[in-house]
Amino acid sequence: MTTPEKASPRAIAWQRRRASMGKVWQEFATNKGGLIGLGFLALAVVLALLAPLISDESGLDVTKAAGQPLSPPNGDFLLGTDIDGRSILLMTFWGARISLLVGFSAAILSVLIGTVIGVTAAHFGGWVSTVLLRFTDFFLVLPSLVLAIALSAVLPQGVWTVIFAIGVTAWPTTARLVRAQTLTIEGRPYIERSKALGGGHLHLIGKHVLPGVAPLVLANTTLVVGNSIIADATLAFLGVGNPAAVSWGTMLETALNNGAVTRGAWWNLLPPGIAIVLIVLAFTLVGRALETVLNPRLKGGH
Amino acid sequence: MTQALSSVDPSSALVDPDERRGGTGTARFVLTKVAEALASIVLVVVLFFFLFRMLPGDPVNFMIRDRPTDPRMIAELREKLGVDKPMLRQFVDYIGGLLHGDMGQSYIERRPVLDMIGERLWPTVLLVGSATLLAVALGLWLGVRAAWRRGSGFDRVQTGIALTLWSVPQFWLGLLLLVGTNGLFPSRGMHSPDAAPDFFSQGLDVLHHLVLPCVTLMVVFYAQYMLVMRSSLLGEMNADYLTTARAKGLRDDLVRRKHAVPNALLPTVTLVFMQFGMVVSGAVSVEAVFSWPGLGQLVYEALHGPDLPVLQGVFVVLASAVVLMNLVAELLYRVLDPRVRTA
Amino acid sequence: MSPLLELKNLGVTYTTGGGKVTAVRGVGLRLEPGDTLGVAGESGSGKSTVAMSVLRLLPRSAEVSGEILLDGEDVTTMKWGRLRAVRWAAASVVFQGAMHALNPVRKIGEQIAEPIRVHAPEGKPPSDAQLKARVAELLEQVDLPAARAGAYPHELSGGQKQRVMIAMALACEPRLIIADEPTTALDVIVQAQVLDLLGALVADHGIGLIMISHDLSVLAATCARIAVMYDGEIVEQRPSAELMNDPHHPHSQALAAAFPTVGDPVSRFAPATASPLPPEPDRSAADDRPPLLAAENLRVSFRDRTGSRIDAVAGVSLEVRRDEIVALVGQSGSGKTTLARTLLGLQKPDSGRVLYEGAAVPRGGAGLRAYRRQVQLVLQDPTSALNPRHSVYEAVAEGPRIHGLGADELGIVTKALEAAELRPAEKYFGRLPHELSGGQRQRVVIAGALALEPGMLVADEPVASLDASVRGEILGLLLRLRRELGLAALVITHDLGLAWNIADRVAVMYRGELVEVGTVEEVLLNPRHEYTKSLLAALPGGTAVRTVAER
Repeated sequence: MTTPEKASPRAIAWQRRRASMGKVWQEFATNKGGLIGLGFLALAVVLALLAPLISDESGLDVTKAAGQPLSPPNGDFLLGTDIDGRSILLMTFWGARISLLVGFSAAILSVLIGTVIGVTAAHFGGWVSTVLLRFTDFFLVLPSLVLAIALSAVLPQGVWTVIFAIGVTAWPTTARLVRAQTLTIEGRPYIERSKALGGGHLHLIGKHVLPGVAPLVLANTTLVVGNSIIADATLAFLGVGNPAAVSWGTMLETALNNGAVTRGAWWNLLPPGIAIVLIVLAFTLVGRALETVLNPRLKGGH
Repeated sequence: MTQALSSVDPSSALVDPDERRGGTGTARFVLTKVAEALASIVLVVVLFFFLFRMLPGDPVNFMIRDRPTDPRMIAELREKLGVDKPMLRQFVDYIGGLLHGDMGQSYIERRPVLDMIGERLWPTVLLVGSATLLAVALGLWLGVRAAWRRGSGFDRVQTGIALTLWSVPQFWLGLLLLVGTNGLFPSRGMHSPDAAPDFFSQGLDVLHHLVLPCVTLMVVFYAQYMLVMRSSLLGEMNADYLTTARAKGLRDDLVRRKHAVPNALLPTVTLVFMQFGMVVSGAVSVEAVFSWPGLGQLVYEALHGPDLPVLQGVFVVLASAVVLMNLVAELLYRVLDPRVRTA
Repeated sequence: MSPLLELKNLGVTYTTGGGKVTAVRGVGLRLEPGDTLGVAGESGSGKSTVAMSVLRLLPRSAEVSGEILLDGEDVTTMKWGRLRAVRWAAASVVFQGAMHALNPVRKIGEQIAEPIRVHAPEGKPPSDAQLKARVAELLEQVDLPAARAGAYPHELSGGQKQRVMIAMALACEPRLIIADEPTTALDVIVQAQVLDLLGALVADHGIGLIMISHDLSVLAATCARIAVMYDGEIVEQRPSAELMNDPHHPHSQALAAAFPTVGDPVSRFAPATASPLPPEPDRSAADDRPPLLAAENLRVSFRDRTGSRIDAVAGVSLEVRRDEIVALVGQSGSGKTTLARTLLGLQKPDSGRVLYEGAAVPRGGAGLRAYRRQVQLVLQDPTSALNPRHSVYEAVAEGPRIHGLGADELGIVTKALEAAELRPAEKYFGRLPHELSGGQRQRVVIAGALALEPGMLVADEPVASLDASVRGEILGLLLRLRRELGLAALVITHDLGLAWNIADRVAVMYRGELVEVGTVEEVLLNPRHEYTKSLLAALPGGTAVRTVAER
């Protein structure tokens, strides 16, 4: 490794960060599944963002539907139409926006809660830790989807309710994970050294604990996004989601309740479902790849 | 840094360490865990009680769904549901009722919630139980084989399948199976009206109905158990005691069966129990798809009311079941793992 | 008669992500039945690879060349079935770290019986009663009560587990035992017991023994011959006594010097360091100031698993004066680390107090922070004492940043690194800990402490995890810092040789109490307390005084 003589401390720190990011990327790039997943996600996000520019939203409106009800895939409608005569392709395309929005927002919310609780529970021992641990354990065993259903049932319907319901019920696994990782880091002698140097709580958490758990949190977030997308679809399917928006979950709910399924209209069923599987699989692949790269415990030998 | 303290004093190395495995320790452990589980269930009751009352809107508004209603009717409704009383009073009444086995009345069916839950409990137990058993058996078996031949074709194919299945929303898989099997299996309920009344035919009929929901529920969870078992066993693959076992001249399959798997099995089995909540969540959507007359279907029906007392009752029962399963897991772990038993 | 084991031109190459790495090359060894051979070397010298290759226990990425003749039969070309039959029956292994080498979820009796069952003659499986009797017999041979067969590994102490490993190794009455660092994690006294036991059993049963260790004195105590390995090759192979008294190869000399004989005047205040030490400064000026650091009747207790309180530190009073190095010796569990943590304010005492320059150390707040500038900690394992994500510069600058000494951070860091003999300092700024050697890492830790210009260092086993050749250098650095800067130090160690190397005074700790405190010469050459005597008696190389007396 070559280091320029007399480099400024800030430059050294940045160089180190750049170098370690580069290394992570190199290792990540050797994971074929992760790369494919990442590529697919990038494409999906870009397409979802561009949806209003490259397609016409009015096609989602039941009153302006252009096609025959439940027509199978044909030249005009590549994936056929739904019971109201709307294009399945267009609906699936637009559904990505809601799914990704809910997935990311709910994941960020739950990971945020989980990280704060996990770090706090592990760092400050004593009764704080005991209380938080009990709290986490309590929520960990509750069936989170059932809780999310309950929340969505009593709150006003809407996309933010769904995000809130998933976000505040999905955090305990993250909290558990972060707590365990924080405990591992806190057990390392360099924490002892830092304390002996006079470092306080803020210093320890800011300089050692958070940078230490960040990689794991990142990998975990990716996995949580996938789970949140499934949860969102399930809530919508059970009728407690956000009926106003066209999402993959509502498409499937309509397909079951309006008779598309019983009439064997598979083209109403496959596109939104496959979209969910693909996007969740992509998140899972990226998350697992990140985990292998970033979590030293999973690397062989060490 | 205090680890030095926990190591046994070497000067007493030849003295039998005192028998720490005393009965009092075990009894205390069991009592603590049971008390914790009870506390959790009480918390569940409190949580769901206030969840359904503290959040915006009151139950009556839900029932009338913002339709213009005569204020007198509203007041009547309030009185009948008991929501006109102060919150604390309602809570005390509710707890009092619970202790006498009364979970309130359904808004819609006007019958005791407990009766409705009682009717729906066994179908869910049957579905969740059979799916979990199958999923555990299949998942553990495949997981062990995949991990032992890490990187082989078998491993890659099985891991790929499991990862994909893990990404599948259960209700969608159910819908696919419905359309895909095209009437080969019954799609709704658990009984056909035309089945012969004898026990054997009835049993066969229920099994016939059980196939699709059970497969749907099992498929996603087997995938998860397999991935967990695989990574758990991979974590043990470099363990020194496996080198010892090989050095002793054991055959490869004996090293696996007698040494690696017992160690890797513990965390997996615990996880299976711990994640019972996810199976229960899964059951809700699968039952909704197949109209399986269980608690999940009851939730689905009640959501459309929304029939709050029923929802509250079912949620309390489901959450309590999960809490109890976790209690079982913790007690089981203590029986299975000698390290926990004495530590 | 063919030799029991003969290695001919053994080579082992590992294929790693970064290409091929040769771990062992051209190794030739010969062991007659009943003979004992020690293989010495530092980590990475290839000694463990040699040991594991005998039963073909190397990972799959290893490629073996040459011949391994066990009773005249080449192990490298054996079929799997034959190899399985040879394993444990012809040669068995006592693994390093019995903690991990025993299966945690199976009873030790079952684990000892397992190879007997596996290697039972065809068609004649032993009955359960026979197995039970044999296990009991084996346990008795290693001085463990037969009732322990029902215990799980975690219920045994480290020494007991190692005894179980030995019993297991004897199970099939092999003609060869390979012991890979069998006593590394053990305390001196337990180490002596295990070595005695192993030596006696091997002699009684006429078993050949190959023992691997980084500690020459351990090998000399048990083996007739010693082979020294360095960088994958055997550099010297001679009878033990000869090699100990007059090592030829520079590496053997370094290994021998790393473990000085207590009482030998040559190694007093002379750790094995390449750079010369400054002369002893004139300390005649009578020092009537209060001691730099003093503990007064400190008491620290913890709750154990059953909930009862045990005293880790039971009323300790200790003084460290300016300009002196005090060694705190004792075995693990004696409470010495707890004492150190309490002195640093990392652990609150139940009673008693710590005084710095005559003033009581505050238990929290700004006062404690200010105190922590004065007394610095150096930990045992520099690899884990440095945050793997922080560069050397950040690690050293951490202390100054915490205490807001930002004015000339670059200057402070440079000065500290150079004081810790990492020159030129700039070369190390951007390095990450894993890019440094063990010795360099420990220097970075010391530099991090020096950056705050403390009055004193508390070093907890500062060289225990370092290789022999680096050990002397780090000890030399501590001695040099004392002589040049007047930096006092409290060095916690289980290693009496270290105390003899650099300390002025010794405090012996046993079960939470100081049983003997005095100058190094007083305590180590003329011990008064029984415990100190037993510690000295357990030294595998013995002490110079005793050696003289025995002649």
